Amino acid sequence: MITVKNLTKYYGTGDNKFKALDGVSVNINEGDFVVILGASGSGKSTFLNVISGLERPDGGNIDYDGKKLENMNERELTEFRKNNTAFIFQQYYLLPHLNVDKNVKMGAALDKNKDYKKYIEAVGLGDKIKKFPSELSGGEQQRVSIARALAKNPKVLFLDEPTGALDEKTGRQILDYIIKLHKEQGFTMIMVTHNQNIAETANKIIKMNSGKITEMHENKNIKSAYEIGW
Amino acid sequence: MRSVGDIMVVGLKDGFKMFGISIMTCCAVTVCNMFMNYYLDLTAVENLVTGEYARAFYDAQLMNSKVVCSVSGGCLLATTVIMLFFYIGHYINSHGMEIGILKALGYSDIKIAKGFSVFGASVFSGCIVGYLLSFSLMPKFYELQNEEGLLPDISPNFHLPLFLWTVIAPAGFFALIAVGHSLIKLKQPCVNLLKGIARTKGKNRNVKDKKNFISDMRSSVLRSRKTLVFFIAFSSFCFGTMIQMSSSMRELSSDMMGIMIFIIGIALAFTTLYIALTAVIKSNLKNITMMRIFGYSAGECKRSVLDGYRPAAYIGFLIGSVYQYILLKIMVEIVFSEIEGIPAEFNFDFPVFFIVLLSFIIIYEGIMLIYGSGMRKIPLKQIMSE
Ligand SMILES: Nc1ncnc2c1ncn2[C@@H]1O[C@H](COP(=O)(O)OP(=O)(O)OP(=O)(O)O)[C@@H](O)[C@H]1O
Ligand SMILES: [Mg+2]
Repeated sequence: MITVKNLTKYYGTGDNKFKALDGVSVNINEGDFVVILGASGSGKSTFLNVISGLERPDGGNIDYDGKKLENMNERELTEFRKNNTAFIFQQYYLLPHLNVDKNVKMGAALDKNKDYKKYIEAVGLGDKIKKFPSELSGGEQQRVSIARALAKNPKVLFLDEPTGALDEKTGRQILDYIIKLHKEQGFTMIMVTHNQNIAETANKIIKMNSGKITEMHENKNIKSAYEIGW
Repeated sequence: MRSVGDIMVVGLKDGFKMFGISIMTCCAVTVCNMFMNYYLDLTAVENLVTGEYARAFYDAQLMNSKVVCSVSGGCLLATTVIMLFFYIGHYINSHGMEIGILKALGYSDIKIAKGFSVFGASVFSGCIVGYLLSFSLMPKFYELQNEEGLLPDISPNFHLPLFLWTVIAPAGFFALIAVGHSLIKLKQPCVNLLKGIARTKGKNRNVKDKKNFISDMRSSVLRSRKTLVFFIAFSSFCFGTMIQMSSSMRELSSDMMGIMIFIIGIALAFTTLYIALTAVIKSNLKNITMMRIFGYSAGECKRSVLDGYRPAAYIGFLIGSVYQYILLKIMVEIVFSEIEGIPAEFNFDFPVFFIVLLSFIIIYEGIMLIYGSGMRKIPLKQIMSE
């Protein structure tokens, strides 16, 4: 259970000071699939980075089952990320000189997980295990990054526009993989997207505007990646 | 990188950023010009040298000048060439996107390559500083070389050919090499540049699995930039050679020689180490950030990115120690054998070796620790805002 209270975050100083997060509060339950929607510049990524411990807030609390993120020092934050979180980004960020197998091993090693090859199979790349990122298509690279994230058995998975760089067909496929693995493993998932329709696959939808949450509701009619418009 | 409308791909600013090359050439020109100028001024007074002993001393001085000049000059020249190649490769790799776009727009290789001639500017600036530096040191140097007054008193004269050879020629030569080498490097399909395939070509080999991820990462970092292994080895080679040599030179020649070699050694060692480490960190910044985001500690990142270079560094140091011993032994036997008052036998100085080794360990590991702790402060958000 993640409890976020009154989160604020500023960028810049003096006249350039800009409030990227303006008193954001939210509760997220274990196993939730939360989608964050909002226009460009509304603070979605900032929110994701702050609650995942990549950036520090300027005010407010972030509570993971009683552990307060805002009080942790750099070493404790690293340890926290190691034990709890995983990330998937729009730009994949694979390690270019390592093959698929080793890229996934990077995530798995943090959980001392020797049995990580099954994640490569799960994203349908069992036959590309020795390929390097530059030899893969965008969609395949994103699948590697999914396998890498899941191989560390995260409690919470953060995704920032995971399908943003992909065409519709590939995007659907990626989303389908993610949702399937979420169902199987029951981790908590928080995903930022531009795409209104993707929100229909989540059980909780948050809308942001100018650093504030403007709307938050449960979704009763959860759809699959192939049922939504794009 | 200039705007697309501009033909010059590499700006003058980029040329001056290559200060490593400037330092290298500055050292080379300082030493070579000083000794060559001395050589020329000395040959001009050859007729005034009388007496058998003075004659021997005179010959030894000439020989000494030639040896020092060719050893340090040649060594530095070779390093500068390698460093230049490294810079150009590095530049093309890290600006692959922009260069790829230019090529895609129809710019010819030669048009882009011409821009790389500004690297000659960094050579020129180093040479001119070194040239002036050598002249400011010369009066004192002349005095010390003839402390015993065996030779007629001479003062430094200006030699135009020497100026052309130590300042103008290197700048032109390196500008040409830069253009030539970048032409070779640019000769690839622009898609490769755009997609960064050029960067990974030939470097991505599937190797046997290591026992843990950190070791996998370490070997991939080493493989991805082989020149850097050379640089780090060379850096500690310089440190080992020059520092130990400087200690021997103080006895064999003069304090001035000793101090000069010491300073060149330190300058070379730290410049190359700095360049290599900055390149290692820069080219791995994204990878380090990603590892940090996933929860690897700064210490683990340091071990995977920097520790792989340790063997190269220590081997470089050991080779340097042996090298300086052999070099000095030869020099003592050839140059000094005819002069009295200087021991014609030269032995390996173990106490000095151990002191220098100890300081090497402390400095090297200290620098690695500093760079490692820098990894703790990498802003994790940066990676997402590119
Ligand atoms: N490092 C920074 N310095 C200054 N301003 C920043 C910084 N990072 C983000 N901002 C600003 O904060 C605001 C929120 O940015 P954020 O990246 O969270 O938006 P977003 O909702 O993710 O947008 P997008 O959908 O385009 O990714 C923007 O106005 C942005 O300009
Ligand atoms: Mg964003």
